[in-house]
Amino acid sequence: MATTVLNSHPKPRAPATPTDVLPTDAAQLYTHIHPILVLSLYALQFPSIVADPVPALATALVPLGILQIAYVAICLPPTGGTATPVVDKKKPGSGAGEKGKKGGMRGTIIPGFLSLIVVSIVIAPLLAAILVLFGAPLTTHHAHTLLAAAHISFLATLPLVYVHGVDGAAWRDIIALLRPVDEVYGGMIGGVVGAWLGAVPIPLDWDREWQKWPVTIVSGAYVGWAVGKMVGGFLKGRKIGFE
Amino acid sequence: MALRTLLLAAANLLIPVAILIFATGFFPYKPFMPGLAEYEKLGWEDAMGWKEGSVPEAPFDKLVFMVVDALRSDFVFGEESGMTFVQSLIREGTALPFTAHAASPTITMPKVKAITTGSIPSFLDVILNFAESDTTSTLSTQDTWLAQLKAKKGGKLVMYGDDTWLKLFPGFFERADGTSSFFVSDFTEVDNNVTRHVPEELLNSDWNAMIMHYLGLDHIGHKAGPRSPNMIPKQKEMDDIVRDIYSAIENEDHLSKTLFVLCGDHGMNEGGNHGGSAAGETSPALVFMSPRLRDITPHTNRVSPTKPKEGGGEFEYYRMVEQSDIAPTLAGLLGFPVPRNNLGVFIKELLAFWPNRIDRLRLLLRNARQMKRIVEATYPSLNYGDDSRALGKECEPPLSDGQELACKWRGVVDILSASSRHITADLKIDQLYWFMDAAQEKMSSTASNYDVPRLTTGTALAFVSVVLTFFTLPALRPFTPSGIAYALTLILYSVLMFASSYVEEEHNFWYWAVSGWFFYLFIAESRKEWQSKFIFHPAIMLLITHRIIRRWNQTGQKYAGADDIVHSGIFHGRSSFILWALVGATYMDITIRVSRHIARSIVVFDKNSNSEDPQAVDANRFLGVVAVLPLGATAFIFKLAFTARDAPELTYGINQGLIQWVEDLSLVDVARMVFAGTALSVVWIMISEWKRKRDRRGEGSGDLAIALFDLLSLFIITQTKAQNIPLYLLFRFQFFFLSLLDLSPAAITTTTLLLTQTSFFALGNSNAISSIDLSNAYNGVSGYNVLAVGALLFLSNWAGPLYFTAASSLLLSALGRPRRNIAMDEVDSRDWVQKEREHLERMAKSEEEGRKRRENGEAWGRHVALVTLWVGVATASVMVACTSEVSVCDGVGDRISFWGYAGVRIVGLGGGKVVGGLMGRIEA
Repeated sequence: MATTVLNSHPKPRAPATPTDVLPTDAAQLYTHIHPILVLSLYALQFPSIVADPVPALATALVPLGILQIAYVAICLPPTGGTATPVVDKKKPGSGAGEKGKKGGMRGTIIPGFLSLIVVSIVIAPLLAAILVLFGAPLTTHHAHTLLAAAHISFLATLPLVYVHGVDGAAWRDIIALLRPVDEVYGGMIGGVVGAWLGAVPIPLDWDREWQKWPVTIVSGAYVGWAVGKMVGGFLKGRKIGFE
Repeated sequence: MALRTLLLAAANLLIPVAILIFATGFFPYKPFMPGLAEYEKLGWEDAMGWKEGSVPEAPFDKLVFMVVDALRSDFVFGEESGMTFVQSLIREGTALPFTAHAASPTITMPKVKAITTGSIPSFLDVILNFAESDTTSTLSTQDTWLAQLKAKKGGKLVMYGDDTWLKLFPGFFERADGTSSFFVSDFTEVDNNVTRHVPEELLNSDWNAMIMHYLGLDHIGHKAGPRSPNMIPKQKEMDDIVRDIYSAIENEDHLSKTLFVLCGDHGMNEGGNHGGSAAGETSPALVFMSPRLRDITPHTNRVSPTKPKEGGGEFEYYRMVEQSDIAPTLAGLLGFPVPRNNLGVFIKELLAFWPNRIDRLRLLLRNARQMKRIVEATYPSLNYGDDSRALGKECEPPLSDGQELACKWRGVVDILSASSRHITADLKIDQLYWFMDAAQEKMSSTASNYDVPRLTTGTALAFVSVVLTFFTLPALRPFTPSGIAYALTLILYSVLMFASSYVEEEHNFWYWAVSGWFFYLFIAESRKEWQSKFIFHPAIMLLITHRIIRRWNQTGQKYAGADDIVHSGIFHGRSSFILWALVGATYMDITIRVSRHIARSIVVFDKNSNSEDPQAVDANRFLGVVAVLPLGATAFIFKLAFTARDAPELTYGINQGLIQWVEDLSLVDVARMVFAGTALSVVWIMISEWKRKRDRRGEGSGDLAIALFDLLSLFIITQTKAQNIPLYLLFRFQFFFLSLLDLSPAAITTTTLLLTQTSFFALGNSNAISSIDLSNAYNGVSGYNVLAVGALLFLSNWAGPLYFTAASSLLLSALGRPRRNIAMDEVDSRDWVQKEREHLERMAKSEEEGRKRRENGEAWGRHVALVTLWVGVATASVMVACTSEVSVCDGVGDRISFWGYAGVRIVGLGGGKVVGGLMGRIEA
């Protein structure tokens, strides 16, 4: 009765593989430190975000962007324009580290920046539109919504853009939840689900300042992203089943 | 199969039985004491030195009682109030201001009962408020201050204003002129009808009570909220009336001993509605006025205008008294016995009319004895004697409510019997107030009148129903996302029942869950096939329509009165043609749909053509349109005519000549024409489809189900407010997009359950009783007919859920899907031949699946099982939440939520089964 979805979707491409964190010591270490850094930074800024969301969220984007670029530059293999070079890179094993080092700034930081630009220009507005579809105010609070979308997209999608580039097929699989899980992908799923769950406390009658738009969903996205990244790391290589 | 049907039938029967038993425990019928009160025996003649049967002299002999509907405290006392004359009286001490706490339900009829009897109305009164015709709810047999005043020598009453009073007190009034509050768009006429009687009545000296009830201010609230620009002028108008009456009292000899009371029956919330227990709704103003008051108010607070009390509620001005206190206070001031069922306490400030402490004691003791009778009747096992020597165990902790009151009464008995000179009269007065306040609190609180065994039985039966349904469920494994979503939503929802703040904001839960679910549908569909124009993906379109639907009407408590599409102004005034264009489109859509069915029926009765031939049907489309257009047009004109009277601001964009023409139509007749036309179409189509089925040798086509659904839609929008009708166009879109998605039966069940709830709230309903919309309950009904009004009321308020329950049957049978020939055009435009074939195969497969589902009824049975489980679990959790945590269901206003839940489900199931049974089974 239950037809597996994959059968009905014959794919000419090579099967997608999970993204590995670079095998260097720095990468292996920093990938665990990174979420702690991001979360503590957010916790530090939380009071000012609650007090006045727009300027505080705008300011908070800068360190978040820097940390995310640092994370992708240190820990993740950059996209090669298509999906194949990523696979290629992993094969030499220790060679990848050498290559990464050799590329240095130009090889990693610049793709990081490019990803940041793609995310800010393309994904953040798209996400803002999705937020509105999910119930964000349409006629007011535009800056709030846009900044919330920017935070969620920096967190959840910047590493994905860095790893997969703008490969349409890969992104289709990403949206359809067809890619094997890894920490980057898990972080995205966690971030989005977290943002959705973050809306739950808004209507409660607790009359707290932090219940206002968009504090809870941004917080939800941060926590969800960290959890998703961790879970994704544990379940690496698994596929999400829908049957 | 048979066992399963049996179990399901039993489970479904149990649910209404459980609700009924629970409800009788939750809203127990309060026995009231019949007959007119007489002065209570005083007792303690020796100790106090008064004579039995003696009555302190009353300072007043006439009463002018002016009720201004929804007169919230700040409308009189606040700094922005327009009632400057009343405020000047407060400053000079001839007016004594209070905020009178009005217990929920804050609706006129129960509140009038509370004001006149001094009792706390039961939930029964709320229902009777809607079924106004009911004569068993009249107060003609009950003890009220009206009955007492009429019973006095030469007592004559006159009444002008809201005809609620005339219904409650039939035959009481010497002269009366009732006004009806049916069309709330009437701000002026309804009040002028009252005011025009005032000058002549002030010259008449034959009455001893004149009652006025103004409705205009409430109408303004309902229409435009408390900040409406019409509000201050209306307050000024009321203020002028107060000035006229007050100066007559000052100048006319026969009015010199007249007490003038101005009060609201309830308040209003920020949205201008009432019925619930929000601060604004429960805080009406109460002012006692008379030149004689100047002597007794030198020490009271005369500041006016003022701000709400520090540390008090948002609308708490001056001292907060209970609304029920009005009855015993009037009894004292006008000199008659306190009404028998009174739970009110004489207002302390007005005691100053009697300089002699003994008079005050006599007054209060009679008030206390009258209340004690009710306490005794409620807790018959306890000792409430006057003999202090018969000491019982009343005061030994732990104290139950009854014991506590008995103990306090002991205190009264002890202090009155004491002979010591140290015990002053003031101390005794304090002791009496101590007892009466406690009695008032305990007897009015909701918890004291629960019937716990019935509550438990009802809850247990609901659980039995859940257990029975559990055995009929389809196999739990393998877990499907739809199954998980269903289970998670149900669990979360049951948990939310215990969070009192989510009861008022429940719509947010459904809006949130539906967004997530539609996004899931997008992902799930994308896994099967990626659509390049993903913006136009059916699931994304569902999400977009959902986003519009949820903003249509602002509902709930937290953001009550916030802007929404209906109130944003795009439908108001000159631009209201936008609304009517959308309404017209909705009617046109349904008309065209129905005309298609009629065209087919023409072919069926035509011997020369084959009804299965689409071309033959198309050839008759014109005839079909001609046949249906009168019905569609009449229905549209009815809506226009109704709205022109009910909400004229929504018709300013329409040609005024047309409006004038439709305003002359008889609403009742036009509504009846629409209903009759719809019924006729149903019968006609049923006959033709029956014949067609026979021609096909018993093989059904499912067309009857679609036809019935379309006619049901027509009926439903006739029962919907004009500004909500475009919602049904959006619902139709959602239905269309859902039919484009290839949903599994479980997914259909989950989707329609979610949409059933969403549509209820999107139409502007909420769990507060104030959101119940009466305006369409009288369509086509002239005179009073409880059954018809009740049925229409139910249908007009639960129309959205009904719509989606019916839609679920169509979706489940894969009916109403785009026909294959339409899909072919789509397929042709594709490039890949392989895709085309796949698509065709899938279409054929899903149609085949749908046919199979229709035939063996398996999917239908599963659907019913899941819906029944949903109803059972929801009912059980509401019951447990209401029993265990009173705050969830505190106040009768919130108790409507219980009825809301139950109502949605009963209609959902009952309606769904009737409609769905027709569609799903007969057509098989």
